[in-house]
Amino acid sequence: MMSATPKKEYPQVLLANRHPDRIATLEEYRSSGGYRALADTLGAGPQDSLKETIAAAVLLGRGGAAFPAGVKLKTVADDAPFPRFLICNADEMEPGTFKDRVLIHADPHQLIEGMALTAYMASAEKGIIFIRPEYESAARILEREVGIAREAGYLGENILDSGFSFDIDVHRSGGRYICGEVTAQINALMGKRPNPAQPPPYPTEKGLWGLPTVVNNVETLCCVPHILRNGADWFQSLALTESGAGTKLYGVSGRVNRPGCFELPIGIPLSEIIEDYAGGMRDGRRFKACLPGGASTGFLPVEHYHIAMDFDSLKSVGNRLGTAAIMVFDETDCLVAATWNLLEFFARESCGWCTPCREGFPYLRDLLWRIENGQGEPEMIGALRELCRDMSYAYCAFSPGGIAPVESLLDLYEEEIVAHIEGKGCPFRKRS
Amino acid sequence: MPTLTIDNRRIEVPEGTKVIEAAEALGIMIPRFCYHRALGSVGACRVCAVKIVDGTRKGVQMSCMLDVEEGMVVSTDDPEAVAMRRHVIEWLMLHHPHDCPVCDEGGHCLLQDMTVSGGHGLRRYLGNKRTHLDQYLGPRIQHEMNRCIQCYRCVRYYREFSGYRDLGVTGIGNRVYFGREREGTLENPFSGNLIDICPTGVFTDKPARYFGRRWDLQRGPSVCIHCSLGCSVTVGARYREVARVEARYAKAVNGHFICDRGRWGFPYTNEASRPRAARVDGEATTVGEACAAARNRLLHVAETAGSEAVACLGSERAGLETLKAVAGICRANGWADPLFWLERRARENVAAAVSLLGDDLVLSLRELEAADCVLVFGADPLGEAPMAALALRQARRQGAPVFVFDPRPVELPLDFHHVPLAIEDLPECIRSLVGAAGDRETARGADPTVRSFTDQLAEPSVPPPPEAVAALRTSRRPAVVCGTDVTDAAAIGLAADFAALMKAQGRRAGLFYLMPGANGFGAALAGTEAASLEELLPRIEGGEIRALVAVEADPLGLYPDRGRIEAAMRKLDLLVVLDYLDTDSAAAADVFLPSTTVFETGGTWINQEGRIQIVRGAHRGGIPVSQTGGGGHPPRVFMEEVPGGQAAASGQTLTRLSPAEVKGASEWVRLPPDTDKQSGTRAVLPDPSALRFAPERTALSGAAGDEAMLTVIAVDRTFGTEVLSSRSPWLSAEETAPTVWMHPEEAGRVPLSDGDLLEIDAGGGSLVLPVKIVENMARRTLVIPRHRDAAWQRLGATRLRIERDCIRKAQPVGENAPVKESPPR
Amino acid sequence: MLPADLREKLERTIETADHPRELAVDVMMALQEHYGHLSDEAVAEAAQLLDMSEVEIDELATFYTFIYREPVGRYVIHVCDSLICWMDGYEKLRDHLARKLNIAMGGTTDDGLFTLLPVCCVGYCDRSPAMLVNRRVHGNLTPEKVDAILDGLRESARSADETSSG
Repeated sequence: MMSATPKKEYPQVLLANRHPDRIATLEEYRSSGGYRALADTLGAGPQDSLKETIAAAVLLGRGGAAFPAGVKLKTVADDAPFPRFLICNADEMEPGTFKDRVLIHADPHQLIEGMALTAYMASAEKGIIFIRPEYESAARILEREVGIAREAGYLGENILDSGFSFDIDVHRSGGRYICGEVTAQINALMGKRPNPAQPPPYPTEKGLWGLPTVVNNVETLCCVPHILRNGADWFQSLALTESGAGTKLYGVSGRVNRPGCFELPIGIPLSEIIEDYAGGMRDGRRFKACLPGGASTGFLPVEHYHIAMDFDSLKSVGNRLGTAAIMVFDETDCLVAATWNLLEFFARESCGWCTPCREGFPYLRDLLWRIENGQGEPEMIGALRELCRDMSYAYCAFSPGGIAPVESLLDLYEEEIVAHIEGKGCPFRKRS
Repeated sequence: MPTLTIDNRRIEVPEGTKVIEAAEALGIMIPRFCYHRALGSVGACRVCAVKIVDGTRKGVQMSCMLDVEEGMVVSTDDPEAVAMRRHVIEWLMLHHPHDCPVCDEGGHCLLQDMTVSGGHGLRRYLGNKRTHLDQYLGPRIQHEMNRCIQCYRCVRYYREFSGYRDLGVTGIGNRVYFGREREGTLENPFSGNLIDICPTGVFTDKPARYFGRRWDLQRGPSVCIHCSLGCSVTVGARYREVARVEARYAKAVNGHFICDRGRWGFPYTNEASRPRAARVDGEATTVGEACAAARNRLLHVAETAGSEAVACLGSERAGLETLKAVAGICRANGWADPLFWLERRARENVAAAVSLLGDDLVLSLRELEAADCVLVFGADPLGEAPMAALALRQARRQGAPVFVFDPRPVELPLDFHHVPLAIEDLPECIRSLVGAAGDRETARGADPTVRSFTDQLAEPSVPPPPEAVAALRTSRRPAVVCGTDVTDAAAIGLAADFAALMKAQGRRAGLFYLMPGANGFGAALAGTEAASLEELLPRIEGGEIRALVAVEADPLGLYPDRGRIEAAMRKLDLLVVLDYLDTDSAAAADVFLPSTTVFETGGTWINQEGRIQIVRGAHRGGIPVSQTGGGGHPPRVFMEEVPGGQAAASGQTLTRLSPAEVKGASEWVRLPPDTDKQSGTRAVLPDPSALRFAPERTALSGAAGDEAMLTVIAVDRTFGTEVLSSRSPWLSAEETAPTVWMHPEEAGRVPLSDGDLLEIDAGGGSLVLPVKIVENMARRTLVIPRHRDAAWQRLGATRLRIERDCIRKAQPVGENAPVKESPPR
Repeated sequence: MLPADLREKLERTIETADHPRELAVDVMMALQEHYGHLSDEAVAEAAQLLDMSEVEIDELATFYTFIYREPVGRYVIHVCDSLICWMDGYEKLRDHLARKLNIAMGGTTDDGLFTLLPVCCVGYCDRSPAMLVNRRVHGNLTPEKVDAILDGLRESARSADETSSG
């Protein structure tokens, strides 16, 4: 299954200043064109046209939900009250996902500029980077570089004499997956239990402390300076597919030779990522499936090995690009066991607010554990399906995301489940 | 008003109605756990799933989270929705113990109902049940966390609705835990509602545990008589014993909830010390014999000293039938005028409030919640009428600022502005607010009485609080709350004038008085001519009055001048007492006749807004089986007599012992024909217009500026002071040990530190109490709870002024013997 | 008792905040740093500092992974057990640690040095299997690497103790 074509070179935008062993300095960022967008746009033109550019660039949210960033900005009403907040969601906790960590460690000023520009478009005066506690080193880098940016006049009062003021605080979370959910994150920042809150009102209307709040993912924010500097058309042209736009950080892990984070165009074939960038399959084994966008996406089977990795083509096969965290399985991997492991994650991280999620994930986990460990019964397949169906009616997106691998397991690998049940155990374990 | 179709039936409901509410209006009860009418929707349990066949969001949706839309089509019995709801039940039962046979919620458990009606009977889940440790939450509420279905109702009620902070939800995922930081009694005086609001048996009524299933109880709708609000309750009795009291929904009064005083105040009716037998000269006898003895002796007094030598005293805790009987017997026999009050100030205050209220201004407790600005004058809502504090919290949650003008260290479960002024300064303070609110232009266009009142208003000696003035300026629905316990007629009148003035300005202003006792309003209506014992006392002391009939009243125990009342009682030839409590007066009675409680014969009570509420008895009464059975099984020896069953309603007993025939006894209480037997009706209030804006209230009254004087007020507290509930063993743990509250400035002048003993030499003797020094109260004021152990009856009055040298620091050697030994419980 | 300088520092931070509650996690973390774990006393301190009730603090404390309401060792080892680390030998790593430290998951060594806990995906899937020691990440773990890490931690604990006692 090796690709015959030689490895192509693609433009590096977000990771242009990436060094293997250190972060890019302010000088390096500046000399690569950094902060030029800020200097050019602040106070220069109407914010509306900037928002138009972001909208025209079709920058879809990179945190997993793929909500258009330009549309989100426009939902902050012109007459909305002040102060307004911009939150950078750096609570990257989707299993398999580590791109934001890479991005912050590579080029923190890109994020700072992205935040300043986004804040300017939303007229926000306070920025908060909500970061998971496991990323302590990233948090320290950001605190330090925010200080440097402030010294350099890119943050703080009256930025670059534009009259616009904006500053950034780094907030370390106590650590929970649900804190990555926007409304839960806002509750967490207010010192409340981080349960999600079903909109309306939307955060852009009533978010942090009841005030307009824009929440964007790290990668999304990092795209903003480049779009404003080079234009929407340029951004769209980066993608390989018609509907896609921009580059994407793909984090590849699992059964590949060189796991890592690669900046590649939206729409690049999956096979190309795995073979040309992640070093191909490990130990000469065959690609069996992958989770294309983190734990909240379904298994992508081998027949889609060459699929273009963009939002639309994955959607067309009933899957999602998610966070583009590609977790790769080979033919020796038991997907029942892998799904069980994911359910362990979701059961542990469920916030406990609504019944389907709180009770459903431990239930699913129990069934899959039994199937994997020789206690499976044929009627459990029906029970799994029923659970997934009704867990989709949960309070927030956590549960629909968490059941995605289970649903795809049932849809695509039912015979594997049956083999577990009939064989009273895991058929893969005998081989290993 | 959108029209939608639910299960093929059309209904029009107001914009913003949730689908679950629209269905309920059609009589379709969609299952719910987290949703509660008082708490609103949060979408946590997911059991209210319905199918939206047509609408913006189609498919299975949560009916509590979805606003109705024009043309929406909803199916509650769609198979997908039914499957989802059934699945939710299965999930909730994963960890719920199968302990229904020993669970006190069994039989009235929402989870049980839903599990049975949803058809979930077979456990599919093979895993273990998650278990929790329970907490000790005090003597009243049992915690059983394993039963929890995580609907979050308890914390939402406890924290958001009622405003207390010692219950929370900890943990995450399927290990979330609802409890306190550590074991201990819940701090919330409305905590009992957790029992009603929990859809299963996590919080159950501890004293009532293992006593009987709900269907075993003789249950009846009733009204709480532990304060003047008259909240609706349901009483459950079994084996001649009242077992539990629950909140009963009353749209206009208490809504869904009651306070803990009302829920656990009932043990007086079960007390082993409750006098069940009639007594003549200390010897037990039959009620017939005792009535005959009373009748003969009363006749004798009347014949020898004249009929005016007999007086009859009722009280504000008695039902209207009893109070009318008191008035009737006095009239029939030509006795002295009936008495309903111990103190003159109480009589005058309530009479003033009742006469000034008026249909145009009166607010119900529910309506008080809708106020957008509340001014509380001379009232401690939590102490005097706890549910009023909860109503104020709801107003505050809707954004209404709340101002309290009161000398006491008032505490409320909400943020409010407290102006701790001396009680004598209250009329002046209200007057200053009237002046500030009385935009003269509006007043000028109004009624001439209003105009002349505002014109004549004296320039206030103190400026009105600026925050209150600012808040009033924009208020559309201001509410005036005024107490009648520590205040005087001037303040009560000005409160009405103030509300009426704002009404005249075109606002929807309202007036809400608090009153003493459950039936203070009834006592005021029962005989407006009635005097007080205080006013009658000289005639007893002078030997004119020779016999006293005390009906559900305890002059000896509750008159605020113990020495004087004891001497007066000694002068009487005859003391007849009718009561269900073992009061001091009952013990001293020459003739004692046992009467029944509200739980047995019911009655009619009028709450502080004039709402007439009829209560029917829940059980026949008699000595509880737990006391006659010696701890054994319910008796298997059957008697015709009910042990302790001689007691009768006081009104009936009065007609039996009356020397003259009392006519028309059955018609004493005439209710408007449209009286709703469940929630009562508001009495047609007397027209107050002639009494409002009385010119004498425009003048300056004497303020409390005299540095040589101190004001002492004896006050009601949430627990431990109200006559009936203070006998409850389950509430006594919550009583604040009696102390005298003082401002640090006053304490410094004595000087005293917190906890020191203070001796007060007042009109009725001296009393010694530990001092509690608090900042948030008036200067030149001593506040004492009317606690049974506080010896407040030595003060001479419940509100009085004393010379500063009447107080001094006492040494802890001297013993402060209480007026009455508290009965061993 | 909280040392006066820490208390003052926290009070100063809280004073500058628009809403003290927003600092709840930071305050809990600071107190945990001081007490070793978020003890009952620390909960009471946090409540007092932030004008919250104790249970309101505990509601947050018991929600988050990195706030410990029970005593933990000087080094808290969180072993990632999510998908990629699990595929790449989490179970062997866990068993190795358990054997080496002679404790089970959730346990603390008798000398109070180590606590062993699982953790959800730490975002180092490109360096699996991974674990955190006091929130510092160690990736591409092998038994030998783990042994070296443990030895290093023991050594630094010893030298720190000597410094403080000497």
